Amino acid sequence: MSEMSELKRQEEAASNEHDTQKGKYMTFKSGNEYFGLEIQYVNEIIQFQTITAIPETEDYIKGLINLRGKVIPVVDVRLRFKQEPFEYNDRTCIIVINVKSMMVGLIVEKIAEVVEIKEENILPPPNIGRADKSHHKYVYGIGKVGNAVKLLLDPDKLLNDDDLSVMEQANDMILEEE
Amino acid sequence: MAEEFSTEGMLDMYLFENEQLLEQLQEMVLEQKDAECFDEDSINEIFRTMHTIKGSSGIMMFDNITAISHKLEDVFYYLRESHPENVPHVDLVAHVLRVEDFISNEMEKIRGGDSPDGDPGEIIADLDRFLEQLKSGGEEKGAEPPPENVYVAPKQFYIAPVATSASRFYKIYIHFFPETEMANVHAYKAVYALKEVAEDLLYSPEDIISDAESAAAILKDGFRILLQAQCSEEEVRKIIGVGYDIEKVDVFECRAEEFLQGFDFGENDDLLQIDLDSSVEDIEARIEDASAEESVQPAKSKPAKPAIAPGDFVIKSREPGKQKKLAKDKPKGEKASFIGVNVSKMDQLMELIGELVISESVVLQNPDLKVPGLNLDNFNKAAAQLSKISTDLQNVIMSMRMVPLTNTFQKMNRIVFDVSRKLGKDIEFVMVGEQTEVDKNIIEHISDPLMHLVRNAVDHGIETNEERIESGKPDKGKVTLSARTEAGKVWISVEDNGQGLDRNKILEKARKQGLLEEGKPDSSYSDKEVYQFITYPGFSTNEQITEYSGRGVGMDVVVQNIQAIGGTLDIESTPGFGSIMSLKIPLTLAIIDGIVMETGNSSFVMETGMIKEFVRVKEDMMIHEPDGEEYIMIRGECYPVLRLGRWYGLTQYQESVEDGVMLILEVEDKRVCLLVDKLIGEQEIVVKPIPSYIKKVKGLSGCTQLGDGSIALILDAGGLIE
Repeated sequence: MSEMSELKRQEEAASNEHDTQKGKYMTFKSGNEYFGLEIQYVNEIIQFQTITAIPETEDYIKGLINLRGKVIPVVDVRLRFKQEPFEYNDRTCIIVINVKSMMVGLIVEKIAEVVEIKEENILPPPNIGRADKSHHKYVYGIGKVGNAVKLLLDPDKLLNDDDLSVMEQANDMILEEE
Repeated sequence: MAEEFSTEGMLDMYLFENEQLLEQLQEMVLEQKDAECFDEDSINEIFRTMHTIKGSSGIMMFDNITAISHKLEDVFYYLRESHPENVPHVDLVAHVLRVEDFISNEMEKIRGGDSPDGDPGEIIADLDRFLEQLKSGGEEKGAEPPPENVYVAPKQFYIAPVATSASRFYKIYIHFFPETEMANVHAYKAVYALKEVAEDLLYSPEDIISDAESAAAILKDGFRILLQAQCSEEEVRKIIGVGYDIEKVDVFECRAEEFLQGFDFGENDDLLQIDLDSSVEDIEARIEDASAEESVQPAKSKPAKPAIAPGDFVIKSREPGKQKKLAKDKPKGEKASFIGVNVSKMDQLMELIGELVISESVVLQNPDLKVPGLNLDNFNKAAAQLSKISTDLQNVIMSMRMVPLTNTFQKMNRIVFDVSRKLGKDIEFVMVGEQTEVDKNIIEHISDPLMHLVRNAVDHGIETNEERIESGKPDKGKVTLSARTEAGKVWISVEDNGQGLDRNKILEKARKQGLLEEGKPDSSYSDKEVYQFITYPGFSTNEQITEYSGRGVGMDVVVQNIQAIGGTLDIESTPGFGSIMSLKIPLTLAIIDGIVMETGNSSFVMETGMIKEFVRVKEDMMIHEPDGEEYIMIRGECYPVLRLGRWYGLTQYQESVEDGVMLILEVEDKRVCLLVDKLIGEQEIVVKPIPSYIKKVKGLSGCTQLGDGSIALILDAGGLIE
């Protein structure tokens, strides 16, 4: 094989890798729902390990873990979704995601599988009623896989979305005044 | 940068190299700012530096940098070639620094992705004026600049140089013994010797080097020299000297006109004008200038401004006496060789070594090794070796992060120079211990506060020259910047011999701002307390806002910045004799000595230096206030108590003070007792920041990994006390 074609093949492989990641979602179970995260955000999945709690933080931030010398914060997804807390056991996993070069661990009840969801099978979240809206702020779409649905998560909002509810409240107040 | 081709790599290189050059330049200039003039090495070095910058900027097509460096190069070319006397050294230093600032500024723009669009016109014009001034100053002394950027004038007529008043002219006849072999070579020896002093030199026969025939002519007619120089007849005789070869030397002093006529004997065509250093263009320009002078001069006011008088192009040679002054013998230390390394690579290395240390402890303390009955002799030997290497490795990487304060101090030197010049104060700046090494991160944090303190010392501390004379002080103010390492801390102090802090003025101001307690007499404030007021926000005793200070923002920011890196500021002052501002800062932020302790299920670390003592206490020493506040009496002193477990809302911590340990913490005279469950031990810990995702928690300054891989939080005593 000539050098040129070798190079070309590598290039193709690289772009393929990007392509193969597209449309693939890591799904996990939290409460009764299944959630999906675009696989490009997922760094790795690690076993549950000792967490050092940090005082005076939100309850869903469980603390810090040591990932091979890197100190990363971990978030309990169930608590983040304001669901009932669950007991951690040795089958509990931490999904390490990388959002905007910030590494964060997500504690999830159960890792499901990696599924492919085509774009046409993703629906925008139904927006029924104002009261329900806050529940959907980190869910940007609903993916259909066969008969099941996965709630697709926006990882950035998942981590940093504290202000949204405040803003919504502010908006509501403005509306009320009007 | 208008080109299509990528200059990215080149650009990085360009910025890196020039930055270093400028740094060296500044250092060198400031080192000699108090000298009478630059020594020869420095002049050459500055010249070369400017030349290099000019060249590389030219390639990168940064025209303004090219132009300005070219201009400064011109100035130093002149200095190098002509050795003018009476160089206004301070102005020269200021000019060099200005150019340096301009280029640094432009490079900053380039680094930020902008194009360097600064206009160097003004600086160049100033430099031009300065160069003119230099040349005029030189002319009075009979020195001649070889003008570099001359326009090539059409050749009109040939005229010999016009003399300056100090120059004298000689006709010299040298007669060699008839039997002298190769008289031309001997003649050349004489010419060569005279070149040392000559401003202008002509001789006949002309071609004494390559033309062997000239030897005969010299023997026959003698060797004739026309000399323009500033030395006396005796000196000329001495230079030539009568030796075994020269039979007789006749030296006649003559007038300039005669000199201009050249040799009135023999054919004039034979004459050769020797121009020691100038190029053809220079000579042509002189001719042009000289002719211009002849015709225009009467109209011009020559005496008023001999400076620009053209035609004064005698060549000032290097007098031996002068060289002594120029070349200060400076012992040059051996240069260590350096390479530039990307900081992110250093950080990566640091991180990797941190991981290595941890995985080492994971291996060496592996539970599998605890199985009874194992023979671990060989393993332990190998393990000891491994530990030793990794400790060495850690030390090396830490030392790589340590940087001497030299650069920071040099910057201060610059500030003293600028500010004192602007304020017209004579100030001597002394640096002590600038070699003291500090972690790179710390240096970044102390630069600004230091700058502020130094500026304050020059602006407020040191009185004006007149005030100093009035109070009978030595007329030169003195600012001393010193650094030393002591007890794991770096002490940096800024000391001035100025007026000191005015206690009454500060108190008055403090009262105005409502900082004083009602009904408390002034005298009950200690000096230290009074001086503390100047570190309050918005506090400035200087009525007048100067360009440099007095805006009331400052000391509080200084204190904040210093505290942010775990340092403290100490103020001492003696009215009439000056003040000392001392900074005490940690050597490094990356590794601290800490006490590891446990509360609830969490591990915490507290910097050892913050802990005054550990005490076991009894319940009856506690004082409970109804509002929940607690105090403790220890040896007759009362301390507020902070229960770490309760403070952070932990679970399963020791409720009883008798089961826990009390730590007495002290930060800047404030004390507090901290109750923890138990102490684990003391160790060196690698400080890591808490991930930014987690909002700042009061009392926590970072986190670290313990030997077993778990994470401990680092307590910040300052934050806890607040």
